[in-house]
Amino acid sequence: MTAVDSTKAEMTAPVPQMRRPWGTWALGALILFLAVTPFILVIVISFGQKIEGAGWEWDFTLANYQRFFVGALWPDEVTFLHLQRLYYALYYAVIASVLAVATAFPFTYLLTRQSRRAQSCWLVFILASLSLSEVFIVMGWDVLLSNRSGLPMLFEVSGATDWLKRTGWFDVLREWGLANPRNVKFKTSEFATILTMSYLVWPYAVILLYPALSRLDPSLTEAARTMGASPTKVMTSVILPTVKLPLIGSTLLLFVFLLGSYVTVVVFAEPAKQTTAVAVYESVRGATLDAPFGAAQAVVLLVTAALFLVLAQYLTKRSEAR
Amino acid sequence: MTKVAGLSLKYIRKAYGDVRAVDNVSLDFADGALTALLGPSGCGKTTLLRMIAGLEDPSAGSISLGGQDITRLPAHKRKFGMVFQSFALFPHLNVSDNVSYALTIAGTPRGQAAARARELLDLVQLSAFADRRIGELSGGQRQRVAIARALAQEPDVFLLDEPMSALDAKLREDMQVELRQLQQRLGITTIVVTHDQHEAMTMADQIVVMSEGRIEQVGTPQAIYHQPENAFVADFIGKANFFDGVTEGGNVRLGAHLLQITPRANFIDGSPVRIAIRPEKAGLVGEANRLPAKVTFVRDVGPVRDIYLDTPIGPMIVTDSDSGQPLRIGDAVAVALPAEAIHVFPRVADQVAA
Amino acid sequence: MRRLFGHIFMALSGLVLALPIIVVAGASLNGGRTMLFPPEDPNFARFVEFFITETIWVRALQNSLIVAFGSATLAVLLAWPLAYLLWAKGSKASKVLAGLGSLPFALPPIVFGVGLGFLWAFIGSLGAIWVGIVSHATLFLALPLVTISIGLQSIDRAHLDAAATMGATEAVTFRTVILPQTLPYSISGFFFALVLSFNEFIVMFFVSASAYATVTLQIFNSLRNGYTPTMAVAAVLFITVSIAVFSAVARWGDLPRLMGADQSRN
Repeated sequence: MTAVDSTKAEMTAPVPQMRRPWGTWALGALILFLAVTPFILVIVISFGQKIEGAGWEWDFTLANYQRFFVGALWPDEVTFLHLQRLYYALYYAVIASVLAVATAFPFTYLLTRQSRRAQSCWLVFILASLSLSEVFIVMGWDVLLSNRSGLPMLFEVSGATDWLKRTGWFDVLREWGLANPRNVKFKTSEFATILTMSYLVWPYAVILLYPALSRLDPSLTEAARTMGASPTKVMTSVILPTVKLPLIGSTLLLFVFLLGSYVTVVVFAEPAKQTTAVAVYESVRGATLDAPFGAAQAVVLLVTAALFLVLAQYLTKRSEAR
Repeated sequence: MTKVAGLSLKYIRKAYGDVRAVDNVSLDFADGALTALLGPSGCGKTTLLRMIAGLEDPSAGSISLGGQDITRLPAHKRKFGMVFQSFALFPHLNVSDNVSYALTIAGTPRGQAAARARELLDLVQLSAFADRRIGELSGGQRQRVAIARALAQEPDVFLLDEPMSALDAKLREDMQVELRQLQQRLGITTIVVTHDQHEAMTMADQIVVMSEGRIEQVGTPQAIYHQPENAFVADFIGKANFFDGVTEGGNVRLGAHLLQITPRANFIDGSPVRIAIRPEKAGLVGEANRLPAKVTFVRDVGPVRDIYLDTPIGPMIVTDSDSGQPLRIGDAVAVALPAEAIHVFPRVADQVAA
Repeated sequence: MRRLFGHIFMALSGLVLALPIIVVAGASLNGGRTMLFPPEDPNFARFVEFFITETIWVRALQNSLIVAFGSATLAVLLAWPLAYLLWAKGSKASKVLAGLGSLPFALPPIVFGVGLGFLWAFIGSLGAIWVGIVSHATLFLALPLVTISIGLQSIDRAHLDAAATMGATEAVTFRTVILPQTLPYSISGFFFALVLSFNEFIVMFFVSASAYATVTLQIFNSLRNGYTPTMAVAAVLFITVSIAVFSAVARWGDLPRLMGADQSRN
């Protein structure tokens, strides 16, 4: 025990120590105040009460949560409207994050096999698209998916619409809500929502998978090949098992990220299929102006997100421990 | 074990852009022998090994095994076992599963594959570690697992890329002997890439010395050491003192001194040559080619002494193991260069002695 | 064959990634006020509008710049002592503090935005521009924290010993050894925070309380009325800034390493 302690002391000794503990305390207090109090306030206010026409007041009532899970008029009447919004938030986020990781994985794998220079160029492009605001991304897809220009027009002009009509696929698309009587239509639809969401997190997926894949020792795959593994077998028996945990961890992080997406849902999702994030906005600043209820919905979102974050953290730790 | 005989390379070349990593290499590997590809880093030895394994495609030339052309055969269809420099053990599998990997993916029943893994782990004395995770093994144990794993598919050829470089010096010498004994017991055609001449000389039946993508010399360890074919080999294998001179009647003139050479060098008079003599072949006693010398430094490492000398033809080192003569820096002595121990190589006129 | 397939896949991914950006860039050239692609009557009238004539956009751009530069600077200043504490002490408390500091970036921004809205309303400074700066600095604290930590970890501790044996005090060691070696990482962290702040709008929406607007917030506010080509000009500007900034980071720093690539390879 003492031996361990002394080596530890030796290791840390050369690093200059901070001599002013009050500075450390002040820093800690400032960060707590800025980063943590907002979340605490949201939680506290979620137990508050709305005052008609004025705002809200402190209280300790579970009414907001009751309203979220079973409806305001419970037990006489039960509605799952708000739960349904949470369901749609989860639904969009799950599909979009899985889709993004599934397509970003082969891309990132190929990227890490490129020269350092080529990787830098790609990373610049990926980071630029990653940091691009949701409003701009939605703007781009809005133009691409709108009925007057973009893809539907391309379908019409290229004759793809006629072809779809001839082969009978058009009726299938109409059933899925992806066509009006005249042409294909992508707005508003689950398809457009999920597509844009996947696009939104795709660069994040690349950045998250990049470390794990670029540290993958190429001699592992070569070793497998010398032992008779075909390229497909190498992928399933070596690469995927080695990066399984980062893969799941990344999916979870993207999922959490997408839980809060707002603009995409407002623009692309059908009114009946809006999400909790939109509802939070509506309650706090939008038409209904019910801050405590908005806070309660935010808390539900927060808890959901935190649960998956902890899971992701755990998986990342486990993959690093190996 | 049925063995497919005869691995042979013909005019193998590998170019990366303008750089020729491997240039015009032709080699035949003796069945059941251990061949070491030896050379400084960047000489193309690893690239050559990777081409044999099927991990790189040669730009030109052909590789054949038992008369079959396998140049374009992908690695996974070659059945060559390979040990990697980093060992490349799969972190998600335990020791036993690593060893039986080749069998498992080939569809061998689990029980049979596990039995074969036990057998191989026995061979490398790691039976007790079958269920361990890779992360729990030491460097030496990892190497044994890597060897066992490469042997699992009963490979036609056994390839090792710098197998000792991840081990510390003491372990390295033990493993060299152990690996050589294992290879002799199995009688498997083996190719080892190394930059360490001691390693090559400890293990190999045949050494291939390479530099800048080309083969400099092929031969047994003794032949490579005692009859180097050129200055590079003389310099790279063991130590040597080099001097530049010109030929004169089959002997070599260095300034005012004419060194006797046996047998006489076969050069036209006046040809620029470089001569080499090993430190242990030169001596402070003896009659041939005596030169006056002054001691500049003595390194006494116990069994032998390295004596650093200043001579009229330039500085040299003499390894002295038996004279026992007391020496101090500044002493005037005489050095003898036995005529039959001097190697003469052609020299491009403006080349400067190393 | 396989290789070709890989190249095609990468190129296709790049194309899809670029597609909306190309479309927006095209739409910014529209002569009229509707978002059409391909653009109708293409000219640069919308650019003039955005940068010069329409005060609402000019002011929004100014706000964006003030908030982005202010918050990125503040984020780096806050992240430095925290990263240093984490590296020098590595204590449990510093790890917890770093974790809490990264919380706003990891959780849904709408929740953090709502919370900040409450917080600043209590203090009574909702709608002040410094509030926007502080809010964004907190939101993006995690970015310089990560890059500076990577930089500190790359310092060979033997260098500190060497400096000490040559008579350097702690302060001198910090100034002459630690700071210069971590400068590229601090700058990278600054730029990451800068670009993301530039593009963020949800948190800004809650803390600005309609008192002022940044460019992305201005677009967000007029979302219900649909997009206009002038907004597309903003998109073109923003993507250009991002590419320029990250190119600079790639040029003067090691982008693959910053993103977590293994140093020993390539």
